Amino acid sequence: MAGSPAPVELDRPETDLVVEPDLPWVTLVWNDPVNLMSYVSYVFRSYFGYSDAKADELMLEVHHDGRSAVSSGSREEMERHVQAMHEYGLWATLEKSGGQ
Amino acid sequence: MKPFKRRRRGGVVGVFEPTEAHLLLNLLGQVVELLQDRTGPSTSSPDPLFDQLVPAASHLPPEDPVLKRLLPDGYSDDAEASGDFRRYTERGLSSAKVANAEAVIESLVRGGMEPDGNDTDAEPVEVELDPAAVQAWLRSLTDLRLALAVRLGIETEDDVDAVAESDEEQVVVMSDIYDWLGYVQETLVGALD
Repeated sequence: MAGSPAPVELDRPETDLVVEPDLPWVTLVWNDPVNLMSYVSYVFRSYFGYSDAKADELMLEVHHDGRSAVSSGSREEMERHVQAMHEYGLWATLEKSGGQ
Repeated sequence: MKPFKRRRRGGVVGVFEPTEAHLLLNLLGQVVELLQDRTGPSTSSPDPLFDQLVPAASHLPPEDPVLKRLLPDGYSDDAEASGDFRRYTERGLSSAKVANAEAVIESLVRGGMEPDGNDTDAEPVEVELDPAAVQAWLRSLTDLRLALAVRLGIETEDDVDAVAESDEEQVVVMSDIYDWLGYVQETLVGALD
């Protein structure tokens, strides 16, 4: 059972802390010479629900640029995506958007 | 092997020679053993909560390069976050891979493969995959190709060509299997569209 509420502190001291905006995170999929292009595109369609065109575009970005940000959102959500990509055998990581 | 095809009603069907089925069985067994050496036999636990509660999970990446590729880091440039991520997710990932391999073996057995049988006068193995089995096959075929690629030293597109040109017997054999697995997977993906 919870106790009585703590008295409200009226003269809370001001702090200099700047609250960072909650930067979204991204899931990156990295190029590897093993996974078939058809399979990578299939994974993007079936897991993320992307259209054929969008899935192919992301797959080609991975292939040509070495990596592609395939999804963005909260850290927890991106961790779930990364784990799912690892289950598919794709090489994926998450990082803060605009990071590196 | 006869390429995977979608039946008008229901599942996706592929036919394997008994030697091919046994090859898959053998390779899957090796990957399962490797995963279980890392994360323990309890990796078959179907309860993800249990997997997370077991305290001994490591936060360090595996030393074996195949395991390192099958169970990669989660964060791009943050070893500490990767370590935490690994501690909480690695067992689950490993269990999922083991379960996929077991599902593939199960469909081969259902298709008539005798795990301890002799290949010489055995019938072809016809596997019929429901949607869940298709997912297990896609993922397991990928895991097998990743494992073979590491053993073959394939890290870049150039390595693929170098491996293809090698005349070292062991490399030729493994590279043929690697290509064959790619063909099997390609026909499976093709049958889904």
